Amino acid sequence: MRVTNSMTTRSTLRDLNQSLSRLQTTQTKLTTGKEMPTASSNPTKAGEALRLRQQLNRADQRSRALDDAQGWLETADTALTSGLETLARAKEITVRAANTGSTNDPVARAAMGAEIRSMRAELLAIANTKYGSRSLFGGTVPGAAYDAAGTYLGNSASVVRDVAPNTSLTVNVSGPQAFGTSGGAVGDMFQVLDRLATAIEAGDSTAIAAEHANLDGAVSTMSAATVVIGSRGAAIEQMKARGQDDLLALKSRLNDVEGVDVVEGLITAKTQENAYNAALQVAAKIIPQSLLDYLR
Amino acid sequence: MPNISSLYTSLSALQTQRRVMDVTAHNVANEATPGYHRQRVELQSLGARPIAGVMAGAQNRPYGVTSTGVTRSVDVLLEARMVREEGNRSAANKTSSTMATIEGIFPEPSDVGLSSQLADFWGAWSDVATNPESLSARTALLQKTTTLTENLHRASNDLTAVRNNAIERTGSLAIEVNDIAGRVADLNKMIVANPGDDNDLIDSRDMLVTSLSKLTGAVAQPSPGGMVDVYVNGRSIVSGTIAHEITGTGGSLRFTADNLALNPTSGEAGALAATITDIVPRYTAALDDVASTIVTQVNALHTTGYDQSSVTGRNFFDPANTTAASISLSADVLGQPANIAAGAPAPGPPGALDGEQARLMAALAESSTGPDSKYHALISGLAVETQATSRRADIQNQVADAAQSEADSIGAVSLDEEMANLTSAQRAFEAASRVLTAVDDMLAFLIERTGVVGR
Repeated sequence: MRVTNSMTTRSTLRDLNQSLSRLQTTQTKLTTGKEMPTASSNPTKAGEALRLRQQLNRADQRSRALDDAQGWLETADTALTSGLETLARAKEITVRAANTGSTNDPVARAAMGAEIRSMRAELLAIANTKYGSRSLFGGTVPGAAYDAAGTYLGNSASVVRDVAPNTSLTVNVSGPQAFGTSGGAVGDMFQVLDRLATAIEAGDSTAIAAEHANLDGAVSTMSAATVVIGSRGAAIEQMKARGQDDLLALKSRLNDVEGVDVVEGLITAKTQENAYNAALQVAAKIIPQSLLDYLR
Repeated sequence: MPNISSLYTSLSALQTQRRVMDVTAHNVANEATPGYHRQRVELQSLGARPIAGVMAGAQNRPYGVTSTGVTRSVDVLLEARMVREEGNRSAANKTSSTMATIEGIFPEPSDVGLSSQLADFWGAWSDVATNPESLSARTALLQKTTTLTENLHRASNDLTAVRNNAIERTGSLAIEVNDIAGRVADLNKMIVANPGDDNDLIDSRDMLVTSLSKLTGAVAQPSPGGMVDVYVNGRSIVSGTIAHEITGTGGSLRFTADNLALNPTSGEAGALAATITDIVPRYTAALDDVASTIVTQVNALHTTGYDQSSVTGRNFFDPANTTAASISLSADVLGQPANIAAGAPAPGPPGALDGEQARLMAALAESSTGPDSKYHALISGLAVETQATSRRADIQNQVADAAQSEADSIGAVSLDEEMANLTSAQRAFEAASRVLTAVDDMLAFLIERTGVVGR
């Protein structure tokens, strides 16, 4: 093939350009820290990166939901535990009232009655415990769960959180589940305490004994609710640990897919730089050469 | 009289070698001229030329050298291939750069692309699901939605701008084509008028044909008298000395005379036509599909959900606006965060703090038929196509460079060769003048010495 000066010039320029463009691609990767400055530089990896980013976002949402669920359950647990303590103190007073009987002086009975009533108020406050601005035991109804008379204002709806892929968890127990159902022969624990206080004040030992038994029922209702809350709390702990593992795994996979291997990148950049320098030197030697240099 | 004849023989050599040097100088001068083809003086021995007449005969056979003309070194097939590949190169590069522009509209994977705005949107729903009572979570959802719709509008507008730029460029391209085609027709006329002295005219005309090929993928076919006819997709835009005017209004090239479409498939015009009728509409449709999926799926859940005042049946997005360019919040929720239906039917109205519907909404992010997966498919398709067009452009550049090199190997000026030719012509000139001197000496000797015997 006949080779002309313009051919040499053009092919040299093209090779130099290609060499420089390869070097520039590597430099962009290194300076942005991204293996794929554009999706088209590696469509397969870009697709995977998009999927991973989406999973990461969902995992992030779940971890926020998990935090919320954990806070919710911990607050409920604390509330119910102090509720159980209140009930235990109420039982002590009931036992004391039953032992002293109706013969005791009315002042002491009135004092015990008042104490029971204050415990009822204490329990009512516990039943109206809020997490953020929401009543813990009020279902999905805004405002207080119980009014001052002890009437349940909430509903029995579940409050659900997404805690793991395709897994959701109910985080609330409704008022009746924790504090007993109103109405009927026994009613909820506010009605029980109400009647108990009246019985103590009246010195009615039969009634006191009956309400004592009802109080035991209230304790077991609340204990059951505490157990439910506690077991959910334990499940949340596990899911949180697993969720964080997942989050880390996703992040490291995303980094594998998107991130640039700096060492490899630097070596590649150095190699390409050398190649470019060599190409420049060769070009500088070849282009000026012609027969002209040797004719006199 | 061989001696006198030798004078003329030398003279013919001197004249012809000077011609060779002139042409060599012309070649060297045009070494870097685009489209120039080296020229050669065709030498012929005078003895080979039979001359009839009184002087004819063995004794008076003419000696010496003459030039029969100056020819262009050109391989017509290689030139035609080069012109065609230049058209393909221009189409491939234009398509590749259009795809790169479109890819730039969707910066993925990143923290600023639509995918992250979609993620923010679903995340805001998830926050509303967790805190349905929170006005700030609801307001944040409306804001994230506005960001999402604004970015869908922007992407859609950017796509339309790419198409509009292509339409505009088609118009200016038609003007350029008309100008060049007119000059090709003029040069055709001049070439016919100057037979034998048309090498440089042909070079200029062929350069213009290459330009036409880059613009429209035009090909040239020789016609009588050294002219060429130029065709785009089988339709003639230059026939002999007549150029057919075209217009490019509305994004398609048409003949002004009969409004017939050229439908170029190669050259920049081919790439522009593909951008206008195929590439941009395809991605606009895909983006519209993403937008309409968002509207349909979100509204489907939202209309069955309940807001904080137990009202149901409200749309979240305006159901009339289902394209990426028009997607917008419905008037029911715009600026009214309390109207967001976060509650699921229980059945019947749920509590005001129910976030079940919002929770289901956030789960749409992972739906295999949801907007995210459609958007991911769009991005994957775009990435693959951009990569493919870029590779095609790389390959086409190599093919066109090779075709150019092959044509150059015949037609381009080689300085080494010109120097060798120059030296050879110079030496021939020197030798011829030495012969002239020798003959002159002999004649002088004859003139001075004849008749002086014994003097």
